Amino acid sequence: MRRKHTLLAAASTIAMGVAGLSGSVQALDVSIEEIMNDQASGDDIVSYGLGPRGQRYSPLDTLNKDNIKNLYPVWSFSFGGEKQRGQESQPLIKDGVMYVTGSYSRMWAIDIKSGEELWQYDARLPEGILPCCDVVNRGAAILGDKVYFGTLDAKMVALDAKTGKVVWRKTIGDYEAGYSYTAAPLIVPTDAHGPLIVTGNSGGEFGVVGAVEARHPDTGELVWSRPTIEGHMGTLNGEESTMTGTRNESWPGDMWENGGGATWLGGTYDPDTKLAYFGTGNPAPWNSYLRPGDNKWTSSRIAINPENGEVEWAFQSTPHDGWDYDGVNEFISFDMEKDGEVIQAGATADRNGFFYVLDRTNGEFISANPFVQNITWAKGIDENGRPIWDPENRPGNPAESADGKQGKAIFAVPSFLGGKNWMPMAYSQNTKNFYIPSNEWGMDIWNEPVTYKKGAAYLGAGFTIKPIFDDYIGSLKAMDPATGQVKWEYKNKAPLWGGVLTTAGGLVMTGTPEGYLKAFDDETGEELWKFQTGTGIVSSPITWEQDGEQYVAIVTGWGGAVPLWGGEVAKVVSYLNQGGSVWVFKIPEGLASR
Amino acid sequence: MVYLMKRFNAKLFFSFSNCQSVFLSGLLLMLAISTVTVSGAAMARDIPPDPLNSIMWTSMAERFMPEGEIVFDDRVKVMAPFSAEDQFHVPVTVDASQLDNVEKIIIVADLNPIPLVMNMRPVKALSYIGFRLKLQQTSPIHVGVKTTDGVWHVGYAVIDAAGGGCTAPAAAHGNADWMRTLGQTRAIASRTDNSSARMTMRMRHPMDTGLAVGIPAFYLNELEVKNSAGELVASLELFEPVSENPTFTLRPQVGIEADTLSVSTRDTEGNLVDFALSIPAASDS
Repeated sequence: MRRKHTLLAAASTIAMGVAGLSGSVQALDVSIEEIMNDQASGDDIVSYGLGPRGQRYSPLDTLNKDNIKNLYPVWSFSFGGEKQRGQESQPLIKDGVMYVTGSYSRMWAIDIKSGEELWQYDARLPEGILPCCDVVNRGAAILGDKVYFGTLDAKMVALDAKTGKVVWRKTIGDYEAGYSYTAAPLIVPTDAHGPLIVTGNSGGEFGVVGAVEARHPDTGELVWSRPTIEGHMGTLNGEESTMTGTRNESWPGDMWENGGGATWLGGTYDPDTKLAYFGTGNPAPWNSYLRPGDNKWTSSRIAINPENGEVEWAFQSTPHDGWDYDGVNEFISFDMEKDGEVIQAGATADRNGFFYVLDRTNGEFISANPFVQNITWAKGIDENGRPIWDPENRPGNPAESADGKQGKAIFAVPSFLGGKNWMPMAYSQNTKNFYIPSNEWGMDIWNEPVTYKKGAAYLGAGFTIKPIFDDYIGSLKAMDPATGQVKWEYKNKAPLWGGVLTTAGGLVMTGTPEGYLKAFDDETGEELWKFQTGTGIVSSPITWEQDGEQYVAIVTGWGGAVPLWGGEVAKVVSYLNQGGSVWVFKIPEGLASR
Repeated sequence: MVYLMKRFNAKLFFSFSNCQSVFLSGLLLMLAISTVTVSGAAMARDIPPDPLNSIMWTSMAERFMPEGEIVFDDRVKVMAPFSAEDQFHVPVTVDASQLDNVEKIIIVADLNPIPLVMNMRPVKALSYIGFRLKLQQTSPIHVGVKTTDGVWHVGYAVIDAAGGGCTAPAAAHGNADWMRTLGQTRAIASRTDNSSARMTMRMRHPMDTGLAVGIPAFYLNELEVKNSAGELVASLELFEPVSENPTFTLRPQVGIEADTLSVSTRDTEGNLVDFALSIPAASDS
């Protein structure tokens, strides 16, 4: 036994020597091709969503339904300090190093073999930041020798991936006006400019104007910008380009000037159509009587040509929103087989409770099916993709009340936190199903008068959330996009707030606020494995292969919007403890085949 | 008793914050020595004893003046108060202008938790720098001036101080909107004689050391001065112990014609501040 140990040690020393040598010769250099092919390569993760389409599907099958019972933690890394709060980040993996972001705009590089910190970057935030929904960050981007992420004071930062030192830092928006940034940046290829780093913005509760912006990765210089609200001008190469839509076509008066539509969840990119897909947030203010019209392009999906920032198509899931149904949720490109045909489709599970399938080449509506129960705000979606509103379930106009101060309250399902919120779903190329982390809840909501004031909440609404069922809120569903059928459902007591991963090994993984990382059978929904991490999980798991072994990682730390806005739901989650760590798992040597 | 306490503190700080870089420079040193041995040149140097008897002297010399002969030299003048009235802003002036062929100037506060204060390269400037630093406790200040022949000329001073200069939050943080004034700078330049000028600047910056609880390190770390011909006058690499709202005095070398100095700075968050200072022609002053 002892002798074997010594031999192993000697072997690993040699291996390390070689690795060290090649490491010092080759600087980190992530190419745009690697990012575009990220989904196919199991040995690294160089994009948010495990590939530009954001399918969160890994082709790895070493870890499977039979051996997952042997999955054990390798190490856990603490984000430290008193700054815990919600951790919604998805790590990136390259050359044996993990790049992970945390609450309060921090980032770490960690050596995966040892779990040791290589560097930490801690953004110096001003005191006056205005994040609406916790101090989260959802992840970084990587290209060349740099890693990129956005900070709560609405800055984009490029760091040297080897040292964590700032290379450049650019302003996305004025944090004093309510702009902030929490999403992972998107990297896209272009013929005209080379690879670009594309970002959205946050701040829809403060009357900011949503925009998508593209920058040069080397300098941070702005290449183009595309506001999401009709009437605002875009830019290209430092000059005004075109107006988004037509001013006042779907907005009255000057309401478009602070119209919201924040692109706060970032975007995806499809190498087939060469389009970047961004979702847009709720219109501002929430009180819909102040802005008659469809309010384009809020609560929409927009497809942007990254060469020039022009909108190729747009689809509005909730026109004239009155319930805070942001349309930001990720639009995932996939090829759908239906009636013997292969359709270039894209799918998105909206805050409003419907799962939409669109033609991703032109935005044409294909289908919409509910993925949560008892939806009340609309009776359904018509053949053009437009909601059939139920006028009884739009909060009343305060101007029609006796004192003009509060409109009639109504009960709407889903709640403003949505049938699904920010947490990304996954698409399995194995089962052709989507796995949707959803929540069954509704809200009492009423409208109030409001006027815009810089840096102040711009809502004009009051609300309180209520669960629909006594025993659960969270619901992970497997949905067949071709039929809209729910194949299986896993019910969770607390609301689900973490992303989903699926693998060729037949696994579906997600975390729960109760602290469990769980794995399910992708065909049946049977729970196969769970591990208690000691604090709530509100982030997205990843998996990759290193030295012939399949690893799994999850960031942990309870927080996000639920404990801040949770209403009656707060009872279910008030006992949950905060944290801030990343956990890494693998199957101990020799157990993979059992 | 007090002496023992200080000694203990110093050791603790040393092993805490700097063991990794010591280890690295140690490795470098070993590499350097082995190369020297192969070529048959002189063996490892002797580090002369410190006139101040600083317990940190040998390790400071090894870390920050890693190669070359070390001599204590009166021509490196370190002017500082005997006792710091304000340990957040301790004025220090280094004048090594009597030395020729100066390559760089290293300033070290031995007993600070982060000892290295700055690394200055006077290219077309007198070997002169005035600035303010933060002191954690009573500490020797060592200044190493490296000349092009590879020799370190060392000067020193000792400053008595009360505790806490590096681990307390910056005064700026009493104000919620301190970031609005970040980078605001006052600067002045004047001609001294036919061949030199004097420039003084002060910038609003918290210079956070990262040692105050809950406040990450955030400090001005690069300062560069160029003349109107685009030649480098001086470059300064700055570190955490430089005082809040840093103040610098430099003595650029100029011709008799009017000149314009371009000053550019960058902090650890990538914030850039650039400005220009004009020097009148000798005939005008």
